[in-house]
Amino acid sequence: MIPNLDGWHTAGALLLASVGTYVCRAGGVLLSGHINQNSEIFKWLSAVTYSMIAALTVRLIVMPTGALATVPVTIRVLIGIVSLGVMLIKPGGRLVPALLTGTGLMLIYGLLR
Amino acid sequence: MTSTDITPHPPASRFDSRKAAFRQGVKDAVRAPVLVLIAGMLGFGAAGNIYGLGLPFTTATTFFIFALPGQIVLFEMLVSGASLLSIGIAVSLTSSRFVTMAVTLFPQLHRDDRKPGLYASVHVLAMTAWTVAMREFPLMAPEHRSSYFVGFGLPCWLLSVPATALGYVIAGEVPMAVTLALVWINPLFFLLTFTEVKLPANRLAILLGGCLGPAFFLIDSATSLLAAGLVGGSLAYGWQRLRSRQGATEGRP
Repeated sequence: MIPNLDGWHTAGALLLASVGTYVCRAGGVLLSGHINQNSEIFKWLSAVTYSMIAALTVRLIVMPTGALATVPVTIRVLIGIVSLGVMLIKPGGRLVPALLTGTGLMLIYGLLR
Repeated sequence: MTSTDITPHPPASRFDSRKAAFRQGVKDAVRAPVLVLIAGMLGFGAAGNIYGLGLPFTTATTFFIFALPGQIVLFEMLVSGASLLSIGIAVSLTSSRFVTMAVTLFPQLHRDDRKPGLYASVHVLAMTAWTVAMREFPLMAPEHRSSYFVGFGLPCWLLSVPATALGYVIAGEVPMAVTLALVWINPLFFLLTFTEVKLPANRLAILLGGCLGPAFFLIDSATSLLAAGLVGGSLAYGWQRLRSRQGATEGRP
């Protein structure tokens, strides 16, 4: 079920991920003052990032592994929709109430089942 | 739009010294947005336990990467058996947002603070610190901004590491309902932040990624995140370009 989790593989992945992330941060320092934040490459990178995080999020909600997989998909989607409702009911500053609603509902589900 | 020209004469008297700016940064760091970050780190630690990746490894990702989306991408791809190269590319792509953040934030620092030390302090740059600094920088003198930024960002990073470890440890000890709520925090957080995205191309990218992610996962789990990101993002970007080009053509007399 869990392939490729030997020490070298995970250590190598951590190294590449850490270096890649630091290069992005340092690259920003290097480029700051020399590049326009509105350039086309940033627009593309931003779209790719959003698309990847959306793919990750939907998969974590619809087909998760581990503990969340024991919760029926209808419950997961329903809690997501209710939380989005709290977030969108009034624009601005609703993130914390929405987050508390969603985690609270998941906790209540876990206690009641 | 982003530099000091928002306030041509920032109130120099807000802080007496760089130390005072640093202290205010630390104070501002123990408020709501950072609590959300810490909750995310707790949830990530709990997820690390569920994934079975070990306490040292889970905590090390927060120490070295300090970017939740990238950390979760790393874990998901490790578990789905992705190659080292595709993991490196995917995590780096999620971290590419730091380039834009640094490019918009650091030109606002005083010229004397734009020195090699920035290459160390940039490690604490994350979404929370960026949002708060973008809001607060125009309200203070340029020479205090660097201290304020480090004062805010450093505790965010330093608190995130034990929060990750704590999440990992309690996931094995608390009732299952609490673990469920913990591992639910990050997917829910990402879902909610999508509603704050305004640019049409990025909204389309989210929609496409959300549809392509599960579909690609069924085809090949190891490459699905990277492929969904590249395909969905590029399509959305291309759509935006096409639209702006058409708009430009129609606009001509």
